[in-house]
Amino acid sequence: MNKIYPWLILVIRIILGAIFLIASYDKILDPGQFARSIDNYHIIPFGLENSIAIILPWLELLIGLGLIIGVMVDGASGITGSLLILFIVLILQAILRGFNIECGCGLKEGEMVGWSKILENFVFLLATWMIYNRPIKLFELFPKSPLSE
Amino acid sequence: MSKKSQFLAFIISSILIGVLYNTFRDDGITLIAQPIETITSVDEAISILTEPKIREINLKMAIQLFESGVLFVDARAEEYLNNGFIPGAIANDNIDLLTELIDTRIGYETGFVIYCSDDDCGSSEELAYDLQYSGFSNIFVFKGGWKSWSEAGLEIQTNE
Repeated sequence: MNKIYPWLILVIRIILGAIFLIASYDKILDPGQFARSIDNYHIIPFGLENSIAIILPWLELLIGLGLIIGVMVDGASGITGSLLILFIVLILQAILRGFNIECGCGLKEGEMVGWSKILENFVFLLATWMIYNRPIKLFELFPKSPLSE
Repeated sequence: MSKKSQFLAFIISSILIGVLYNTFRDDGITLIAQPIETITSVDEAISILTEPKIREINLKMAIQLFESGVLFVDARAEEYLNNGFIPGAIANDNIDLLTELIDTRIGYETGFVIYCSDDDCGSSEELAYDLQYSGFSNIFVFKGGWKSWSEAGLEIQTNE
């Protein structure tokens, strides 16, 4: 088990990284649409949804790349976890306020907010926690892990 | 490199890349979103526009435009229409077919109203931007949508 676990973490890192890369793609292509998706949650004040729509997709892309190629994995997984908690809170408040809105998550077009999205994010959060607390650093380019030297 | 430095590196890089890329791309957006203009008179609604616009209307304006024979487009998913819709409103989940339908009825320059479930649904605004991208130049988003229309006891149509 101990020999397999680091490899399992590596696979999880790559899958989670790929999910964030995919999620960032459409948002980078069309920040206007992403800003409107954020606005639909009715929680961001002062028109700041545009700034978030400009910056957040790049953050998702960079942490996705970081997880896949093994660059600053601690930072990437830490931010991933923080984002996932934020997404869970946003979706939960939308459900509780009775909003029937598109998720704007970037993974599947037309996907609506709902309990399944919250469950999905909890699964991703568990995966992130496993990466953040990994006992052995495997194939990490920067900071370098012993096995990648 | 500490974890805190790594967090900062990701966040600062994202801000720099995001803002720079947005500045130099053709379809960049403003850092702060501008609210959609609201119109309060039919004259304003039917005036000739020099540039494509998406504007908001309230229930009172929606009624006036409905009485003037303006086309209504229902942005809700088809399953929601079974409970009723604004009389004469058209709907189609396929944007290309919807574009064709609106073009056949009123062309690209004539104004029309889009609505969805309520104040918070967002799909009317989303569809408005999609249709503006398809070439329609004068689009009204009816805030309040189906909820405010039906709660006001106004005429509705059902698919029997």
